[in-house]
Amino acid sequence: MNRKIDLNEKDIPKQWYNIQADLPHPLPPPLNPGTGEPITPDMLAPVFPMNLIEQEVSTERWIDIPDQVLEKYLIWRPTPLYRARLLENFLKTPARIYFKNEGVSPPGSHKPNTAIAQAYYNKVFGIKRLATETGAGQWGSALAFACTQFGLELKVYMVRISFNQKPYRRILMETWGAKCVPSPSPDTNAGRKFLEQNPEHPGSLGISISEAIEDAVTTKDSRYSLGSVLNHVLLHQTIIGLEAQKQLASIGEYPDIVIGCAGGGSNFGGLSLPFVRDKVNGKNVRIIACEPTSCPTMTKGPYVYDFGDTAETTPLLAMYSLGHSFIPAPIHAGGLRYHGMAPIVSRILKDGLIEARAYTQLETFSAGISFARTEGFIPAPETNHAIAGVIEEAKKAKEEGKEKVILMNWSGHGIIDLAAYDAYLSGKLEDYMLPDEDIQKLVKDLEKFPKPK
Amino acid sequence: MTIYCIQMGMLLELSYCTEVNAGLPCRNIIGCWKGRIDILSFLQERFSPDQLKQIFGGLPKSRIDRIIEGIQN
Repeated sequence: MNRKIDLNEKDIPKQWYNIQADLPHPLPPPLNPGTGEPITPDMLAPVFPMNLIEQEVSTERWIDIPDQVLEKYLIWRPTPLYRARLLENFLKTPARIYFKNEGVSPPGSHKPNTAIAQAYYNKVFGIKRLATETGAGQWGSALAFACTQFGLELKVYMVRISFNQKPYRRILMETWGAKCVPSPSPDTNAGRKFLEQNPEHPGSLGISISEAIEDAVTTKDSRYSLGSVLNHVLLHQTIIGLEAQKQLASIGEYPDIVIGCAGGGSNFGGLSLPFVRDKVNGKNVRIIACEPTSCPTMTKGPYVYDFGDTAETTPLLAMYSLGHSFIPAPIHAGGLRYHGMAPIVSRILKDGLIEARAYTQLETFSAGISFARTEGFIPAPETNHAIAGVIEEAKKAKEEGKEKVILMNWSGHGIIDLAAYDAYLSGKLEDYMLPDEDIQKLVKDLEKFPKPK
Repeated sequence: MTIYCIQMGMLLELSYCTEVNAGLPCRNIIGCWKGRIDILSFLQERFSPDQLKQIFGGLPKSRIDRIIEGIQN
């Protein structure tokens, strides 16, 4: 049997799958806390083009992938599905492990699946330029790649301290033609305010977000772009799972278990949502989202409406959250550090269609090292959470003597995140488990908020 | 003294974590530094209860929250 299961370019899926058509219970809408009424699409129009807003609220099951997007996807898609035989041998498991390698994209992660689509929809809507923020640069570099493919200008507000000290992603962005500026910048009111306080201000992600949104709202023919959490982002990512279904079918396999790491939910949703559809239609498949024990939004957080800021003036979003007194512990998985999961992922968890599992920091890096030393590829730190889940299930299969089929989303490589591996290998990482009594206190904090029906 | 900050994807000095929020600490500082130093005592010595409440009270803003805030501004 081949180690790599390729999909011919002509067989690339031509539609994205929209789980909103098949949810047993529709997503509760984001509410305006001022009026208690749902946020309307036109309220989002200053930051997103209407064609993407329409996708955000669409309940059509299948949405055609435009030919221009497919052409760009073919730069790296279909991505290979690998049989992880070397990892299987290392674990001495009867399980057959498959991983979908999303690290083969030009920026090295799954993120361009939505970056390309968002660049396209902005382009056809008449938008000339996009603005976004980036910390270490993973999303910024994916969007820079996408914008150069469609001839859009891109301005990236990169946190100044990262801009100065982490040059590689900035160089990627600039190589792809984006204008990358250190934030706070003198280009926005938000940036100028902080520079007046301190001309050498090192910046923060919050400042960069404020700058990018202000830029998009106040600049002609501009919009903002976001790479996680939102429904249309998860929609675009479903090409991962749709391809994997075809690849597995081509060798007569179907997974017993589907595993992904879940931060904002986009890579987990991308692989799993097509299989969630199968499950809704009666298939016997377990779907597991893996998260850090230090930020257990799904494994320990309650499902509630949660307020978004200290003044409690922003819209309510139904999502898993640990509430306002939760402070995440140190973790080395940038994409995973969210207080709230994507609403779609929260919904299918609540409906029992998926399960959640939490792993410690050391468990995840240990899993990543095992993967790197068997399969060769060095995973991104967040991908290590999924690998930890795979290894646990593969060991369980060994104990049970069952030939389970396990499918994992290998969401990106870690070549530009080697500092995290260096910290792990030199013993600088520490585990932290939020004590149960702390969790109970946080749950009490959230009891005053209305619960979605 | 440095720590690897996953939000930023880089090593940072403690001084960054204590001042990043307009001179006040990052709201993640306790979780990030808890295992390294007595961060609670450190914060209580350097910041007033009101300042600490300003940082750690209320909810953190998610990205979608900040988008809506940006539109409303």
